[in-house]
Amino acid sequence: MALVSKQARQTVTGYLFLAPALIFYAIFLVIPVAMSVYISFTNWNMLGPLERARRVGFSHYVYLLTADEMFAASLKNTVIYALGTVFVGMAVALGIALLINQLRASALWRFLIFAPVVTPAIAVGRIWSGIYHPSGGYLNELLRLVGLPPQQWLSSAELALPSIMITAIWAGVGATVIVFIAGLRNVPAQYYDAARIDGASPWHEFWYVTLPMLRPTVLFLSVTGLIGAWQVFDLVYSMAIGGTESGTTPARAVMVVALYLYMTAFRNLRAGRATAGALILFVIIFVITLVLLRVLRRGGLEAYE
Amino acid sequence: MLQRRRAIPGTWVRFGVVLLVVALSVGLIGGGALAAKKRVVWQVHWSDFQIEGIYKGDKLVTRGLKQWVEEYQKSHPDVEIVLQTVPMEEYLNKLMVAQAAGTGPDIISVLNTWGPQLVNDGVLDRVPGDLASDVKNNFIPVAVEGAGVDGGIWGIPFEVGNYALVYNKKHLQEAGFSGPPKTWDELVDMGAKLTRRKKDGTVERYGFAFLAGWESAVVHPYLGLLWSLGGEYLAPDFKRAAFNSPEGVKALEAELALFKKGATDVSASVWEFPQGRVSMMIMASWYESSLKQAFGADYEATVGVAPVPAINGRSVNAAYSWWMSVNAQSKVKKEAWDFVRWFTAQPLPDGTTRMGTYQAENIGSIPPRKGDLSGHPEQLNDLYTKVFVQELAHARHEPNVLQGAEIKSVLWHEIVEAWHGRKSPQQALDDAARQINQILKEFYG
Repeated sequence: MALVSKQARQTVTGYLFLAPALIFYAIFLVIPVAMSVYISFTNWNMLGPLERARRVGFSHYVYLLTADEMFAASLKNTVIYALGTVFVGMAVALGIALLINQLRASALWRFLIFAPVVTPAIAVGRIWSGIYHPSGGYLNELLRLVGLPPQQWLSSAELALPSIMITAIWAGVGATVIVFIAGLRNVPAQYYDAARIDGASPWHEFWYVTLPMLRPTVLFLSVTGLIGAWQVFDLVYSMAIGGTESGTTPARAVMVVALYLYMTAFRNLRAGRATAGALILFVIIFVITLVLLRVLRRGGLEAYE
Repeated sequence: MLQRRRAIPGTWVRFGVVLLVVALSVGLIGGGALAAKKRVVWQVHWSDFQIEGIYKGDKLVTRGLKQWVEEYQKSHPDVEIVLQTVPMEEYLNKLMVAQAAGTGPDIISVLNTWGPQLVNDGVLDRVPGDLASDVKNNFIPVAVEGAGVDGGIWGIPFEVGNYALVYNKKHLQEAGFSGPPKTWDELVDMGAKLTRRKKDGTVERYGFAFLAGWESAVVHPYLGLLWSLGGEYLAPDFKRAAFNSPEGVKALEAELALFKKGATDVSASVWEFPQGRVSMMIMASWYESSLKQAFGADYEATVGVAPVPAINGRSVNAAYSWWMSVNAQSKVKKEAWDFVRWFTAQPLPDGTTRMGTYQAENIGSIPPRKGDLSGHPEQLNDLYTKVFVQELAHARHEPNVLQGAEIKSVLWHEIVEAWHGRKSPQQALDDAARQINQILKEFYG
């Protein structure tokens, strides 16, 4: 009896300790998510009262997934953007990390490579819009020097998204490099020693020791990178939609989901549809994250056990 | 040590009591005074110098909104007008969020595109009878048309916008042209001849640039061409799109001729006009001060303004407007309307209004009240604005339709697809019409 009572007391105490966090999550997570689900079934435009908004069932979901060409384009662009920036970005970052790891004054290099990460995206967008400028930008000057024809980096429907992706990789590579360097420094030296005794070439060392040992790092970077990339907004907005010199990039060529949601909710006065889109985006991110966790879960030392 | 420990709580208690007494008395006295003062919040989209006024040294040369508000408050000590400034591109977002939270401003600046939704959702208060009659009797027709939704007047128009051809006189002279183009064909021809390319083919200077980057920028000039050709944007009952007609296609083809003949391309930007990298552009009336600032002493010798070249012998100008409206949820509606009346309708001895003076002198835009249009010759008859004012005579206001911004966005995106050569004019307009018809069906059945 006394034991049960002690257990009950402990349970109550435990929940009391948890209460502030639970209340916090309820107010800032559970209630907003529940509200979002409700709003996604209405035609609310944020101007009138929510209770007066017409209930439209699943029609936003059906429209978004079957009829909305811009949403379809935004999903496609976001997949290209996310996979491109995260995986190409990781490959570039790993190369830089391997290099920096072997260089002297690596702290200086880390600082230099990290600098763009702390620069606001809007500023990055502005700077790169200048670099991409068709007649006065550095990039076309560079192409001209090597005898290549200049390009309309941000105005061309074909080049605009890749151009933004290059900027995103440049802006984000520093953070990835730092994580990779930390990962590289955690690989126990004896694995390399053992590999060398077995006659492994540097390539073999990288392929059979470094890369497998970096699996947890790759998992972490893939999951966090993809979640971030799925929500990209500022860079695309500042470089191609709202902030370019001309602003004539076809929206369909650069529209990403977060931008679509913003435009839908705040420009087109369709908060209900935008919320439905946001929930679809949430499900997609959730599923991809689960798949990634499953594929890359085992790694590092665990893989050898 | 012990004494000191005791002394600390004692001190804090005394300090707390004093604070409480002070707070209570300030609350009672100040609160009483504040309660008597009605607070009217006006959310505006104007920038710093437009709010603070323009100074030369320490001397105020052009009044900002703040000085007008101060004048009002002097004669109305019971009212406090609070100015909330929000950038234009965030104005509607902020309004929506505030409205949803029940904290919307009392006086709202309304872009006509938002009007029907704001009326439909009960955000706007009905304009008092005397002010509505004042609008109908004393404003230019295009502004009256612009402030109307479902037959009612829903705000006091304070700015009307339209378009003209702005050109670089020096560029035209260098190329041997004696004046700006009068017809669309001349525009295409001159635009191509004015474009300068480097050896590698890149454009050094564009003969022409479209205003682009947001829906009105692209759609308004297109509507001007469409209407000039006798086409229509939407059916009168708003049940379907009407622009994918032969006239609509012809209007878009006319724009594309500028691309095909090399007068412009998708990288051309009106924002490079001040750097001398664009010779001609279709521009709005609010760009005057930027050009004056950019060209400085060279302004008059460089900048020329002419009507948008006619496509069919006659030029129709697409117009839009801004209104001053009061929030239906406001707790100080009477005070808000009183201020609006004082600012926009109460005539000064010279027949102008305070709002008209503010628009003409500070903002540099066109006030739509007849008395204000004739009462500011110095500002409105100048090199830049004169043509815009003249063009108002054959301007047509864009329709105030529910989901107007969304509808315009669809058309904007499709026109840009055609500019890029990704769709034929007919295909782009048909695709736009299909999407717009779906929106109209949802709202107009």
